Amino acid sequence: MSVLAPERAPVLDEPSMAPAVRTRGKDFAGLVLAVPFLVLLVGTVLVPVLYALYLSLFTERLQGLGFSGPEHVFAWLGNYASVIVDEAFHAGLGNVALFALVHIPSMLIGALVLALLLDSAVVRLRRLWSLAVFVPYAVPVVIGGLIWAYLYSPTIGPIKNLLGIDPLSDNAVLPAIANIATWQWVGYNMIIFYTALQAVPREIVEAARADGAGGIRTAWSIKIPVIRPTIFVAVVFTVIGSLQVFTEPMVLRGFTGTVTSTWSPSMYVYEAAFVAGDNGRAAAASVLLAVICAVLSAVVMRFSTRRSR
Amino acid sequence: MELSPALRSPGLSRRGFLRTTAALGAAGLAGGCTAGAAPAGATTVTIWSWLTGMDKYVAAFNAAQKDVFVDLRVIAAGLSGGYAQQTNAIRAHNAPDVLHVEYQGLPQILLTGGLRDLTADMADLESQYSPAAWRGVRPDGRTWGVPMDIAPMVLYYRKDLFDQHGIALPRTWDEFRAAAAAVKQVDPQARICSFPLNDGSFFAGMSWQAGDPWWTAEGDTWAVDIAGEGTLRTGSFWQSMISENLVAGVVHGTQDWIAGMHDGKLWGLLGASWSVGTLGRSIPKDTGRWAMATMPTWNGTPANGVQGGTAFGVSAESKAPEAAMTFLRWLSTNPEVPRIGSTFTTPFPAHLPNRAIARQTYKGGYFLGDAVYDVLDEAAKRVPDWTWGPNALRLFSTISDAFGPVRSGGTTLPDALRKIQQHAVADMRAKGLSVREGRTA
Repeated sequence: MSVLAPERAPVLDEPSMAPAVRTRGKDFAGLVLAVPFLVLLVGTVLVPVLYALYLSLFTERLQGLGFSGPEHVFAWLGNYASVIVDEAFHAGLGNVALFALVHIPSMLIGALVLALLLDSAVVRLRRLWSLAVFVPYAVPVVIGGLIWAYLYSPTIGPIKNLLGIDPLSDNAVLPAIANIATWQWVGYNMIIFYTALQAVPREIVEAARADGAGGIRTAWSIKIPVIRPTIFVAVVFTVIGSLQVFTEPMVLRGFTGTVTSTWSPSMYVYEAAFVAGDNGRAAAASVLLAVICAVLSAVVMRFSTRRSR
Repeated sequence: MELSPALRSPGLSRRGFLRTTAALGAAGLAGGCTAGAAPAGATTVTIWSWLTGMDKYVAAFNAAQKDVFVDLRVIAAGLSGGYAQQTNAIRAHNAPDVLHVEYQGLPQILLTGGLRDLTADMADLESQYSPAAWRGVRPDGRTWGVPMDIAPMVLYYRKDLFDQHGIALPRTWDEFRAAAAAVKQVDPQARICSFPLNDGSFFAGMSWQAGDPWWTAEGDTWAVDIAGEGTLRTGSFWQSMISENLVAGVVHGTQDWIAGMHDGKLWGLLGASWSVGTLGRSIPKDTGRWAMATMPTWNGTPANGVQGGTAFGVSAESKAPEAAMTFLRWLSTNPEVPRIGSTFTTPFPAHLPNRAIARQTYKGGYFLGDAVYDVLDEAAKRVPDWTWGPNALRLFSTISDAFGPVRSGGTTLPDALRKIQQHAVADMRAKGLSVREGRTA
């Protein structure tokens, strides 16, 4: 018990110290509560980001056969330059641009229409419907990709027979990948839109109805304008997700040679880091991808604020 | 633990986060260590490997003696992350004592400078190995690894159907073309085999046979010859087979491929020694249909490529290199190892006395015709000279990307090969390696 004795003494003094502790403690408590967040932010976001920036400035130089090992050299922006002029990176950006052109409108319009249908009085079995559309989001992307890959397989899957085209052929593989992503994300975005629609003031909708607006007119002129900010947030997330598309093409790559190893920028990063073993180039490419994501998000956000004015 | 690309990239999206979580989960699963603790006084040797059954070999080794305790960590296979994990560990100076390398990946690992030169330590073993395997761990004439197994390529064919329709087993590629046409004539839906354009290591194995190695270490310079005469001959032959629609294009190992093999739509497989196991697992009901033969040859001169094979290296920074080598000698040459291996696979050891043991323990019954190990032995004997280059793993992706447009007629195999040669040379030069194009005969 002698060990406990010194600890007790301050406890007895506490009442006299309390006011001072409380005023200082206010900031302190806030800091303590923020610590878990800060630790995670620093450890899982800031440090890796800074480390990637650091890596992107270095490269490994070899000589002769290379078996004496590499020398780390500061490359200035050499890694960035080699990524920027790399045709494979351009092709990857082209692929995700096309992917986004197919995926973003089809997915978001699909999600919006489904959300509006759910929100309207037309639909019966609302819960069942929303669950059915949402379930693909709960399926891990790899599993979803494999399911679709089997469906797409020309001899054992039904889709080639149904559509008359091989979904894994050169021209069809991009829509095939977009289809997997759309299937995966439409339910998720539908829930977001549906939640936003729930918050649309009922009196406006009723006023519109009193003015003689039908269901479609109400949706178009009242509901969609009101939830526009939500739609733009979904657009931003989807733009970023499209640029970073990785798992779906990676899974299909095991089934067809039409998906190249650098099909999307994320796959380019993966190939550089895990196959070529070039961490500098991988880091540079991921920084560039992040910058492109940031710029596009900013463009979309700016567009959205201008429209809402 | 290494960072997954999602963690490394700034602007972590929700999707990226999910991927990362999945990757971390997978790493956690893969991080299972060997059970049991080191006996007192034993030297602990750590090993990273993705070899099937390595846990059983390690357990047997740990049980057999008390001086060395091997601590196994199972890592993701080769290009699924195993190589990246090992090279990153070497860079971070925390590599395990023993590293898993395949012959094709060895030179790329060597670029990290992280392997120990075993030339003097292993010199006495030379005569006990398949020459092709021994050459595989000596890309520049120094020994960098201890061979485990080697995978010569083999032609698997539907002997029942070939016999039934009077098609002779092709022994040259010209005969192979004729047989391919005959198969198509019997059943317009069937093809003699698939030629997977997305598999760089497969095409490398096919080119290996033609006798023009893609790389050669000439002094301090890499001679790079991916568009050499033999490789172009291989490319032209298969281009004509593809153009004439005599081969299928289905990817080996997919459900489509398995269905085709089982349903008689594919009458053959250009496989390797490990395909013995693949066939037994993928189409177990096909007993008594398939037979094996060495690869058809170009002009009657026996030659046979290789697709795969495992070896192990010792880390240059290992604190227990002697103990590591004790284990590797045991793993590679102890007769117990093929006995254990035979219980769950069909091992084809690089070590010749061990191969004899694997042959004795092989049960057979699945294949018609010549005995499995006779064919594999003969195939292994026919393997010509070959050296893997320091960019081989990356080149496999380059090949599959460059061959993609061949299907739709966008390019031809020989044209793609010339492009691949340029790409490989530029890639190696950009790293600072000394490179010469072509090869001094």
